[in-house]
Amino acid sequence: MTSIPNRWRLPDLGLGVGLRTQHFRHITERWPAMDWFEILSENFIDTEGRPLHYLDQIAERYPIVMHGVCLSVGSTDPVDFGFLDKLAALAKRVRAKWVGDHICWTGVAGLNGHDLYPVPYTEAGLRHMVSRVKIIQDYLERPLVLENPSTYLTFAASSMPEEEFIARLAVEADCALLLDVNNVYVTCRNHDLDPVAYLDAIPYQHVVQVHLAGHTDNGTHCIDTHDGRVIDEVWQLYARVHERTGGRATLLEWDANIPAFSVLQQEVKKAARFRNGERVAAKRVAA
Amino acid sequence: MRPGVDGGLQTLERWMQAVVMHPEGATAGLRSQPARRLIPRAASDLETIVLPSKALTSVERLDIYAHMYYARLLEVLVAEYPTMRQMIGPREFAAASRRFIARNPSRSRTLNRLSEKFPDYLARTLPKSNRNGLAVDVARIERAMEDVFDAPRAEPLTADEFAAIGADQWERVRLTLSPALRLLKLRYPANDYMNAVRSGKKPRIPRPRASFAIVYRRGFQVFRREQEPEQFKLLTALASGRVLAVAVRASVGGRSGSADRLAARLGAWFREWAAAGIFTGAGSGK
Repeated sequence: MTSIPNRWRLPDLGLGVGLRTQHFRHITERWPAMDWFEILSENFIDTEGRPLHYLDQIAERYPIVMHGVCLSVGSTDPVDFGFLDKLAALAKRVRAKWVGDHICWTGVAGLNGHDLYPVPYTEAGLRHMVSRVKIIQDYLERPLVLENPSTYLTFAASSMPEEEFIARLAVEADCALLLDVNNVYVTCRNHDLDPVAYLDAIPYQHVVQVHLAGHTDNGTHCIDTHDGRVIDEVWQLYARVHERTGGRATLLEWDANIPAFSVLQQEVKKAARFRNGERVAAKRVAA
Repeated sequence: MRPGVDGGLQTLERWMQAVVMHPEGATAGLRSQPARRLIPRAASDLETIVLPSKALTSVERLDIYAHMYYARLLEVLVAEYPTMRQMIGPREFAAASRRFIARNPSRSRTLNRLSEKFPDYLARTLPKSNRNGLAVDVARIERAMEDVFDAPRAEPLTADEFAAIGADQWERVRLTLSPALRLLKLRYPANDYMNAVRSGKKPRIPRPRASFAIVYRRGFQVFRREQEPEQFKLLTALASGRVLAVAVRASVGGRSGSADRLAARLGAWFREWAAAGIFTGAGSGK
């Protein structure tokens, strides 16, 4: 299969992990081997305390990518330009390689649920989100990198599958995508969908980054908990994405029961096997 | 407009938010007035709005979001109020937090200030008792610690800069206090109590006694310290913008015995404060 470069020629940063408070000291004392770090943007906004102090040091030595959880691109509230100013200032400060968030809404009527709520996959919903993403990109003067979230419900109003909505959003808004392979798995499990078909519908020229993570399988549904190792089925999906892209900046998320930094290093290094052309033992990907 | 079917996106979002932010979960949220006002038929015909999956009903799927909403925000409060939580116990803390979140939902994109009204809320709503009164004071200290953790940076006056303020300048110099400083007037000796708890002791609940504390950040570390009443009065006067001499007279003037004793006390206090880095500027002006 031919690999597809991303249309912005944004770099393949290699293998990275999410920067978390628990590892600040380890990183700034030992400067461990890691290609790059991703930060949760909101954790470094409206604060001038210790986290920003560590981030400044880390940004001197490693590439930083900003990934947010509250941009709320799907919300029907007005775009918060004050928040965009804060994002832009942080991006400048850490020389962010790119700035991203999720394909979701997080609150409406001035409230914030601090969660990634799904949008109905309708023509009207798509038009709304395309328009918002264009406004945000114009304001930030950079492509927005949007991630497919894990979803736990489907609106009856939806008239297209999630992957089609995402593909059309990427093309019509001309935004970049962060393909979270674990979220693809979780969403497909929760909605009885085929993750391979989902991946095959993604416009890979828009994909600039990939996420890997662990999740919790409750039997009746999966929750995107980021609290453990990546399961084999997700590695299989990652291998498929890698075949299509030929290499994208890949990041391991681990946000609960956070282990020692060395564990994160070992886990994310597993991705190198696929990037070097190895395949995981044939194991059927759950559909 | 047919909400949730043909583009009533705003209605659908407001409805879902009303359902998942309901403190008693999605089932109660569906029956709530705000949700029924937005999409009346959802309470009785939910599957026309949210599809079930093979394993979960429509309401169970909404409940995943309802559960995560409170779990996530409770996690923030648990991290911010460890001593207060230990005092009243995890169950009572979770119940009070849930009521607080329901009354004070987040309106910010960051979580830094989610709980800034929590101590006042507790003061209004916890049943009156010595334990709860102390718990409110402990919560005020823990909230102040969060505030100063995130406060803007400002370079403290150096020892030389501080020493250069001669007595002849006291009538006109105003000291600027660090933005990472909070002055707390408390009803209980809460700072002492916190020290005891955090050193592993199990102190008794003290009787009410006015106490004064400062919470401040030096570098990137947060500290808290008990203050004498007159010390606190002086800092309060300085914080309100009084010139140094006026602040001193308003706080300790005439009540500290001899001039030598007063000078010794002031010297010790200012050395303590300067070492803590709580002054960030000194300027003249009326």
